[in-house]
Amino acid sequence: MNREEFLTRVRTAAAAGRAYRVDVNADIPDGAGYVGGGGDLAVCLAHEIAAVGGQATVVDDLAAARTALGALLELYRPRSAFCWQHPLLDRLQLDELLAERKIAQSNSQSLAALSYDARRKSMLAADIGITSASFAIAETGSLVMIAQRGQERLASLLPPVHVAIVERAQILPDLFDLFAELRRAGYDNLPSNLAMITGPSKTGDIEMTLTTGVHGPGKWHVIVVR
Amino acid sequence: MTTDSDYAKHEHHEFLAASRLAMANASLQSSLSLLGTSLGQRNREAFEAFADSSLMRDKARAIKDATLADLDKHLETLEANVLKRGGQVHFAADGDDACEIIVGILRDRGAKRVVKSKSMTSEEVHLNPALEAAGIEPIETDFGEYIIQVAGQRPSHLVAPAMHLRASDVSKILSPVAGRQLPEDATQLAAFARERLRSGFATADAGITGANFAIAETGTIVLVENEGNIRLSTAMPRIHIALLGIEKVIPRLDDLPVFLKILPRAATGQKLSIYTSMITGARRAEELDGPEEFHLVLLDNGRTRILGGPLRESLFCIRCGACLNACPIYRNIGGHAYGGVYSGPIGAVLTPLYDGLAANRHLPHASSLCGACQAACPVKIAIPEMLIQLREQLHHESGELGWIESLAYRLWARAMRSPRLYRLATWLATRTAGRLWSSGWMSRLPGGLNGWTASRDFPAPAPTRFRDWWDSEQNGGPL
Ligand code: SF4
Repeated sequence: MNREEFLTRVRTAAAAGRAYRVDVNADIPDGAGYVGGGGDLAVCLAHEIAAVGGQATVVDDLAAARTALGALLELYRPRSAFCWQHPLLDRLQLDELLAERKIAQSNSQSLAALSYDARRKSMLAADIGITSASFAIAETGSLVMIAQRGQERLASLLPPVHVAIVERAQILPDLFDLFAELRRAGYDNLPSNLAMITGPSKTGDIEMTLTTGVHGPGKWHVIVVR
Repeated sequence: MTTDSDYAKHEHHEFLAASRLAMANASLQSSLSLLGTSLGQRNREAFEAFADSSLMRDKARAIKDATLADLDKHLETLEANVLKRGGQVHFAADGDDACEIIVGILRDRGAKRVVKSKSMTSEEVHLNPALEAAGIEPIETDFGEYIIQVAGQRPSHLVAPAMHLRASDVSKILSPVAGRQLPEDATQLAAFARERLRSGFATADAGITGANFAIAETGTIVLVENEGNIRLSTAMPRIHIALLGIEKVIPRLDDLPVFLKILPRAATGQKLSIYTSMITGARRAEELDGPEEFHLVLLDNGRTRILGGPLRESLFCIRCGACLNACPIYRNIGGHAYGGVYSGPIGAVLTPLYDGLAANRHLPHASSLCGACQAACPVKIAIPEMLIQLREQLHHESGELGWIESLAYRLWARAMRSPRLYRLATWLATRTAGRLWSSGWMSRLPGGLNGWTASRDFPAPAPTRFRDWWDSEQNGGPL
């Protein structure tokens, strides 16, 4: 059907439907539904992350974060890591940490040099994804991942293990605060893809038995730097 | 005649026969028994975080109502903003249109294989058979959808499409695909699906999704999921096609958090689903993953017919499934018995609206009108009232009531309008039926009325009229 006809049909129906509008509660105060984090946002975030099946570690500084990340690399012994390029990871000296352990790193720099197919293969082969986040939400225990060059969507998704390092300044109290941030940045600057991650990949499709890792990472670690 | 296997496979109008099969199905019954206690309970707990969750529901309701009043404008805004981001917008009047558009896009690009994420809208337009007819292989990637795709069945729940199956059923269904005997264990079955579907993601030419919301002012579509298959479907293939029922539009980005706060809580009792994706156009030139093309297909398929009528409120539905979990009927018969794409209380409204009332005459009656659905609904949709309206409509259509039943209603209406007739009738009833059935219940009504007593007893009249009893108690004059 062509566009004009389609929209005309909608216009006519919407107008006719106005006779059946429902009685709605018009005075809902701004801020209804705001929950927030409460108390220490880093602690609250970690608490919610644990509640959704993630593993959160709260540390006091970058050095401690580096140790925590080192321990995870020891635990999983990945051969290859799919990493974001992010200032926080640079400050952690992620490159050195991986090199010391002889873990191959693919990131946007190495991936850009590859052909479409080779790039896809390299992403699929990674054993661990290491990222930061654009924001974290204390209320829900979520990480907000904004896609851009250097912060690939698939890093938090393809490998069976995802580790994210976030710091206090990135934590927002409530989901509503994220939308305030987006408004501040200007809607013309919305990313092509924004994903909120709230737990390891899960399904309850069979007998409501919770199973993790059905498509995305089954292991989800977040290191929170206070 | 409906048989055990085909009521789960095809859409049908055999509500009573299918319900009987469902009630006799032990595995279905055991799955259903989990609904109220697990999902329903988690839903209630999740809403407790709000000082007043009722306000959030009112807010969502108000947004839906206002949006639908000017839906044409919001669709135009949405279109303009999708185009601005380099996406393309298509208009589908009905299911055939939608399939033709989607098959057309895929054919033009030589696509052979697509990964699909769970989308009731694509079920509604029967997209998979259309793709297959065009020589394109659709792979359902939601674990539950994948199982029922292999089994050739229809989803039985809005949120958990394979909730009617047990691990042993799933092992039977997937073992032939695996070429070996799979264990009857949910975790290992999921692991098999992961392996299997990974290669699908890696080789598919396009990803097809629905959408939970579309934001007019930014041209963003929003997808909510727990598994990650939607993120994979929208990040790996070169083309992303989203099919959107027009009622899913919301005007502003600031409207979204309201819905994100209520949808997962109502659906599964989560504060947020594990993955919430906001997609605004195709990937930007410098990005290394994400699709190169983004298409949005806007679907009417009967929605404008509903939009202009008294049951317009049914378009507020955000497909959370809470009304299913709360409904005593759904919890006894499951989703397949309803016969259509949408099941449960909201399906009992939508299926007659989309597919015709006469053919689905049982559905408006498939409710005790207890109100549990409306109480559970995050948008407070007045489902019981809508079912009553549909019943009324049915009664106006000829042939719905047998002549005895309609005569009985007419006599009753006549008696209620005249005090003298009413007194005479009640006197007669107490002296006859009231004295005969001293147990207070009639297990069988005579003749054409026996349909009522086929599955329940009819309350017999009392042996004494209320007014006679009153007179004797009070020793006063007549009322
Ligand atoms: S009618 Fe309400 S409760 Fe039922 S699926 Fe729709 S939004 Fe959810």
